[in-house]
Amino acid sequence: MKPDSPKDINLRDKKVIVIDDFFNFRLTMKNMLRSFGVMYLDDATNGEEAIRKMAVRKYDIILCDYNFGQGKSGQQVLEEGKFRGYINYSTIFIMVTAENSLEVVLGAAEYQPDDYLVKPFAKEVLAKKIKQHIERKENLRDIEKTLAADNYSEAIRMCDALIAQSPRNLSEILKLKGETLLKKGAFPEAEEFYTKILLMGNVPWAMIGRGKTCFLTGQYQEARNIFEDIIAKNDKVMTAYDYLAKTLLKMNNPRDAQEVLMRAISISPRAIIRQKNLGNIAYRNEDYCTAEVAYKSTVEQGKYSCFKSPADYTNLAKTMVQLNNSEGGLNTLDAARKIFPDDDDARLYVSVTESYIYKKMNKDFEARKAIIEAQKIMEDLGGEIPASLKLELARAYIITGEKEKGTEIIKHVIRENHDEKEILEDVRVVFRETGMENQGQKIIEETRQEIIRLNNVGVNLVQEGRLTEAIAYFEKAAAHLPENKIINANAAQVLMFFMKEKGVSGENLNNVKTYLDRVRKIDESYRDFPMLLEMYNELVGESGTNNSG
Amino acid sequence: MIGKMDFSDVLASTLHDTKNSLGLLFSNLEDIIADCRERKCPSHTDFYKLQYEIKRSNLCLIRLLSIYKAEKSQLAINVDYHSIRDILEDMLTQHEFLLNTRGIKIETDCDPALFWVLDRNLIAGVLDNVINNSFRYAREKVVVSAFMENGYLGIRIEDDGAGYPAAMIFNEKNNPEFKKEVDFQTGSTGLGIYFSTMVAGMHKKNEKSGFISIANGGKSGGGVFSIYLP
Repeated sequence: MKPDSPKDINLRDKKVIVIDDFFNFRLTMKNMLRSFGVMYLDDATNGEEAIRKMAVRKYDIILCDYNFGQGKSGQQVLEEGKFRGYINYSTIFIMVTAENSLEVVLGAAEYQPDDYLVKPFAKEVLAKKIKQHIERKENLRDIEKTLAADNYSEAIRMCDALIAQSPRNLSEILKLKGETLLKKGAFPEAEEFYTKILLMGNVPWAMIGRGKTCFLTGQYQEARNIFEDIIAKNDKVMTAYDYLAKTLLKMNNPRDAQEVLMRAISISPRAIIRQKNLGNIAYRNEDYCTAEVAYKSTVEQGKYSCFKSPADYTNLAKTMVQLNNSEGGLNTLDAARKIFPDDDDARLYVSVTESYIYKKMNKDFEARKAIIEAQKIMEDLGGEIPASLKLELARAYIITGEKEKGTEIIKHVIRENHDEKEILEDVRVVFRETGMENQGQKIIEETRQEIIRLNNVGVNLVQEGRLTEAIAYFEKAAAHLPENKIINANAAQVLMFFMKEKGVSGENLNNVKTYLDRVRKIDESYRDFPMLLEMYNELVGESGTNNSG
Repeated sequence: MIGKMDFSDVLASTLHDTKNSLGLLFSNLEDIIADCRERKCPSHTDFYKLQYEIKRSNLCLIRLLSIYKAEKSQLAINVDYHSIRDILEDMLTQHEFLLNTRGIKIETDCDPALFWVLDRNLIAGVLDNVINNSFRYAREKVVVSAFMENGYLGIRIEDDGAGYPAAMIFNEKNNPEFKKEVDFQTGSTGLGIYFSTMVAGMHKKNEKSGFISIANGGKSGGGVFSIYLP
């Protein structure tokens, strides 16, 4: 007699979906699940259908094949599900694979399934895994909720409480504790924590944690050593490559960063975000051949991925132009139009880039036409467009003879991002490509100084204790430069200083939250952010039962 | 234009195909067994031996790929902090049913608070092989236990069968420094010892390496397989 399904889990209320392209396999799985008591059972034959269903219904358990013949892969279903919020911390996602799990490459941490199930598997194995994950998610659920509310100290306390009970998923809780310590900005504690774990053995996530701690505290050489060490011991920890590249960029070593990403891609080529990054870095390094290959991969992998963007096509087009293949560039833009038919942002990207390419081909008339179209779309759009798009537009203006207009836009971008290294690099590239290298350098410096002075005036007001004036000053500055990280951070901080002295008010708390949300959106790993967040949380605590409006 | 294929591609592709085939065999057999049982056909128990062989074939393939990769220095060890009791319970789930069909009971004995840093896939690979074999050799009982000994984590599989043949006895004194050439003349048993020794040896910490031991006796009087990890 076959053993029954585990008696003590109740699957009756769980919504389950099975995604596999083989009818027989779906049938087998569904029969197994029904025998466990599952009542809400859906299935899908491919990734696209699965995503459509996930958009309509939030599933508790997802069993997804790793390898479909065509269309989205299991990994892409997972990524898109998480990206669009169809899958959250309480969803159980199990990847079903015929591959021996020994061959699985350690991908990006945020996009890993909860578990793998290797075919062939017996009914009992499936039952056990489901039961284990349900239990696991139970004890994680409260911590995840606390984290979602940015209450890091409380989350750490909860982790410690759980750790003391030696739960089955101890490793996962320890990993979560480490990440929370980093999010909180508690760097010395994080360092100590990871070092202790490493005494037990070279656990990759702990090594990465130590490396991240060094990275976030500016100890770039140390971080570099740690990430290189990880790769030397196990060359399939992809996160290590990504962080190593980031570190090398901070150390002003873009060529080495490029090499690192190229190595990573040779091991794990199916990683669209990494391909994009490689393309961008190679382009900045003027290595257009590598950039072209990387952007081509990005476009190809983007076909079924939620991470595709029109910039992939326009970047590829620009690269082709650099390689004297303007025709190819135009063809790429045509393809972009077909892939993003209703997307206004895409049309803007395409028109702007088209203008640039036509100009390079000396087709002035077409270039003008394109830029006028771009202008019209921008007016239709009205709202904010990303910095990269602004730079494309500026480039197109300069090249078609409207230097003033283009330079103004660039100055605006600099003002918004006076402290963002990578965007300033992109600005330099635009100046280089429009023949304004020296002039551009001056413009960058002067505009940056403008904002630095602006910031310093406000900081001085604070140092002189003229808080009310400082608040008004930064409020105006932040309204003017809503995308400037430093200005918004200071605006938040000034208000919080004020509240520390004069007491908390609902309106001020809301304003601080607005500023902090902007900062987080601009740069989640901004060094001072955890400190600001902690200040905010304390003030929220102080306001106690006095509910803010 | 057909280019020359690398053998590792041939290997990976063939293994993939074969594993899929075995998977289909296994699940088709499940269906046949269920059908037979419903019709009260007494010989449905004979099918379990077939399932055992399919599992064994699958484990051989996994072993093959690991050893091949290790030879080419492509096998990376992938460690994490694991609950040992969890690993042993997984073993239970994997093997319990088939063993029960032969009247063999499998038990685990492990402190719930025991955690260790090791490569779960590789260790599971080793334990899977040993436990699957006990389908043929055990009488009524298999005990899988974990413990700490001299700074090593020890995992032990003991059965109450006739014990390992003399040719297979290996490092019975549990000596960490034991080194002996593995004799492949004994066929798959030699390969099994080779694989286990390889996996154990990949686990290193502070100059110490993992090792195995194969002996007879123990609490159940049969074969005793042990793997020690630093």
